Amino acid sequence: MSEDPRTIIQRWLSAEGYIVVGRSVERADSLDKALGLAKFVEDFFEEGYLLARVAISRVPHARILNIDTEPALRIPGILKVLTYLDVPGENQVGYAIPDQPLLAEGKVRYFGEPLAIVVGRDPDALARAVEEVRPRYEPLPALLDPLEAMERTDVLVHEEFGSNVAFRTRVRKGNVEEGFSKADVVVENTYRTHHQEHLYLEPEAALAIPDLENRVTVLATIQYPHLGQKIIAKVLGLPAGMVKVVAPYIGGGFGGKDDEGPLVAARAALAAYHLRRPVLLFYTREDSIQIHPKREATVIRYKSGATRDGKLMAIDVTIIHDTGAYANRGPFILWRATMHASGPYVVPHAKIDGYCVYTNKVPQGSFRGFGNPSIQFAAEAQMDLLAEELGMDPVEFRLLNMLRPGSTTLTDQVLTSSVGVHEALRKLADYSGWWVKRRQYRVERTGRFRRGIGVAVAWHGNSTSRAVPDWSNAYMQVARDGSVVVYTGIVEMGQGSPSSSHRQIVAEVLGCPLEKVKIVFGTTEAPDAGATHASRGTSVGAIGILVAAGRIRSRLESFLSEYFNVPLEGIQIRDGKVYVRGEPKMSWEELVTLAYSRGVDLSSTGYFFLPKGTFQEDIGRGFAYPAYSFIAVVTEVEVDTYTGRVRVLRVYPALAAGRIINPEAVKTQIEGAVIQGLGYTLMERLIFDHNGRIVNDNLTDYVIPTSLDVPEIEETIFVEDLWEYGPLGAKGVGEMALIPMPASIANAVSHAIGIRVTELPLTPEKVYSLVKHLER
Amino acid sequence: MYYRVLQIKYFKPRTLEEAIELLTKVRNSRVLAGGTDLLVDLKTGRVSAEALVDVGAIRELRGIEDLGDRIRIGAATKLQELVESDVIARELPLLRKAVESMGSWQIRNLATVGGNLCNASPAADTAPPLLAYEAELIIVGPRGTRVVPVTKFFTSYRRVALEEGEILKEIVVRKSTWSGWSYIKLGRRSGFTLSIVSVAVLASTRGEVLEDVRIALGSVAPTPIRAYKAEEYLRGREVGLGVLERAAEIAKEEVSPIDDVRASAWYRREMVYRLTLDALKTSLRWS
Repeated sequence: MSEDPRTIIQRWLSAEGYIVVGRSVERADSLDKALGLAKFVEDFFEEGYLLARVAISRVPHARILNIDTEPALRIPGILKVLTYLDVPGENQVGYAIPDQPLLAEGKVRYFGEPLAIVVGRDPDALARAVEEVRPRYEPLPALLDPLEAMERTDVLVHEEFGSNVAFRTRVRKGNVEEGFSKADVVVENTYRTHHQEHLYLEPEAALAIPDLENRVTVLATIQYPHLGQKIIAKVLGLPAGMVKVVAPYIGGGFGGKDDEGPLVAARAALAAYHLRRPVLLFYTREDSIQIHPKREATVIRYKSGATRDGKLMAIDVTIIHDTGAYANRGPFILWRATMHASGPYVVPHAKIDGYCVYTNKVPQGSFRGFGNPSIQFAAEAQMDLLAEELGMDPVEFRLLNMLRPGSTTLTDQVLTSSVGVHEALRKLADYSGWWVKRRQYRVERTGRFRRGIGVAVAWHGNSTSRAVPDWSNAYMQVARDGSVVVYTGIVEMGQGSPSSSHRQIVAEVLGCPLEKVKIVFGTTEAPDAGATHASRGTSVGAIGILVAAGRIRSRLESFLSEYFNVPLEGIQIRDGKVYVRGEPKMSWEELVTLAYSRGVDLSSTGYFFLPKGTFQEDIGRGFAYPAYSFIAVVTEVEVDTYTGRVRVLRVYPALAAGRIINPEAVKTQIEGAVIQGLGYTLMERLIFDHNGRIVNDNLTDYVIPTSLDVPEIEETIFVEDLWEYGPLGAKGVGEMALIPMPASIANAVSHAIGIRVTELPLTPEKVYSLVKHLER
Repeated sequence: MYYRVLQIKYFKPRTLEEAIELLTKVRNSRVLAGGTDLLVDLKTGRVSAEALVDVGAIRELRGIEDLGDRIRIGAATKLQELVESDVIARELPLLRKAVESMGSWQIRNLATVGGNLCNASPAADTAPPLLAYEAELIIVGPRGTRVVPVTKFFTSYRRVALEEGEILKEIVVRKSTWSGWSYIKLGRRSGFTLSIVSVAVLASTRGEVLEDVRIALGSVAPTPIRAYKAEEYLRGREVGLGVLERAAEIAKEEVSPIDDVRASAWYRREMVYRLTLDALKTSLRWS
């Protein structure tokens, strides 16, 4: 049998019937988490370790004249204050553009920018010391509005670039002028979306232990241990092999710990490097909110046109992202927004321009959906408006234009398979009672409480965009007692891939009992499997696990075939038993013992490099993503027109994300994302003062939903549109349900009140002023 | 573990006399009741104190009693005890409704009614119902006992009529019959949240005539307030939509809200009108 990854992937994609896959098996971590036994970074702190905090800038924009560390050092219990001058390697840590220092150097560019690390023995002294790091500054004017920043060159956030536009993207398809000339209806609007704070339960922390195994070991709240390793090595000027990074259980990431995690890890490592003792660096909640990057805030101008018979003809879109003080992952976020700007529809003519703009605010960063919720909010509002102009039902109009197998996307990529969105929306409309409710609520649109129903559809490319390399890997070892240990760089931040789907795939492919499988996750001791972001923990992360398991499986099968002298087809290993021509012959444990004694290699790796195409960056044409996950969500709301309060009553999801490996795990991801999307749409907002300081950096004033705000989330419709390279055909799920939520709720609110919503969040005050305006 | 640990003197007296003596003698001391506001404020530095006098062990500060013509609530009574009390449910339903919406179950099991009043937040949720009931506050101090109507208790933003060494001992509400009541709290989410605006209304009618009415408002002025002018306008009038709307209009003129992270002053004024009207209608079972 073959050890070739593609053959293995293909074999398991089209296997007949699964034993463990497709079942809601219990997560490996649920009991420990319920009992409080699961360990997070801070739980590894021990008596005698040192503590560290980050001193931040309290001005939005200034040149640093000097940083006097003496006042902080005079505080009893403070041992060290580290600035950029103490970085032995490189201080430059920008992900997309080399524009960001680990510790401020030359200038500070936002209120909250890390200036120095204070190290000491007790938290009280640290709390005082971070206040005492007060550099001498030459103040500079602060740019807080991206539209203003784009136009200005007299004030530059980064002088060296000569412009406040950090990055541009472009798609040119067909001829938009021609497209609009053929359109019978054209609608145009400006949409605005706002920042969102991740507000994970566990704020950032990293524990750096020098000299453990003769290198520096860092436990961190991090979504990509291997990236942390790379950055720590660079900052300390060490070879990567001298750095070990481990992500224990993480209390939520949502992308925030993909951006901030490696930096927190590097700051802790820097402190341990200088003190030569274990150091726990931690962010308080306020530190966390002030320092780490946020969901993109955007201004989107969107013009679209369609023919009388309901064919989408052209779109002309300008996307402006307020990227804050540093590009961080802004360019990647902007690319994703740009390439998803059409929504999951066929459009012959398109012109998209994206701008990533520097301001003196907290940087824009990764957050579940990654540039997509904002652009789908605009695109899906436009679809509703076009349908209205055409006198068509919004679902009907969407179905007419929706991507199907064989369709060409916005970037001229032909999608040959795994496009289940049409079926998902069709089923969803019937399931949610759309056809009746949409008419009924409109007729009833009187009185104080008004109901509305809205729909939004979204697509989300799996893996990295364009030709950016992406791969999966894992290392696997079957011990002599039949237990299986798998090493993966994928982390467990609550999403459940290492604790559920990874185990299921191993048990399925090896044919061993599920309880024999142990996944060691989140460590640089495992092969680099890429980050746990972009909904890839299973969809890409598990490919390596599948391949590694597939290799051992085929070795065992070849061995058994020889041993029993039967053709391969006569060998079956399933559910912990070996069958030869249908007869049970031995248990899994007996098989392993035998294999060990007969020279079968029961260790393997599973490297797989994802095949990609080419992409022309100047006109945004070509291969954008290897596959797309799709989701459609129907939302019902009730608007209190007296107060402007929106209650989301019911949410109906339909997901086309390939094979569902663990339905319960997928359900928890959908529910979590719906609630996080609801919070973003209705109540969450960061408020900046004239200094660009976040005023509501606490849980009193940054409000997220509680259980009382959670609507009925109905059972999800699954359309299993298998992806050829996905593990057993699975695509990404984690981000999916958040992406259409702003659009779905906004479309429902617009339906309820009869006014188009173009700006988020839909606070009672915002909705009330819309209704009040209409009454006048 | 990682936030500032309070370095502060701590006393836990057994008697009221002891507590008063401590508050008088120990420099810069403050009363600690549930601590759900005070400890947070001390940590963030919004409030400073050198010593805390924990009144949690003083038995006479606890408990809810029906004394026939009046209800007595010990100042250190926990909010959750109010929620679970039959006396409160029967006699002061307006208060019960307001307290039910406060904080979380965990917070309500620590926080006290007296603490909520003495902390004097404009958004204190026990204040509007107690203002409407015209509760009397029994205050004890080095110079003895005095009674302050709750309507005179809030003197200015976050200030109350307590002199040095004084402790709020109990809250007394005289029983009276109201034909209707209503409490409405508007926040940024459905529960466990500070109010944007809150309204408490008590009403009593004879036939179609409004004999008496009380309207109290939270989060729309430097202190919780009564809308006296609106009440005065309503008293003795025949109930009608026009009359209620006019009263709500007057209430809107009586408030002085600010813009803050929760809402704008404009929206708060609008909501004073809407919610006062709504609360009046509910109290009068009028729609």
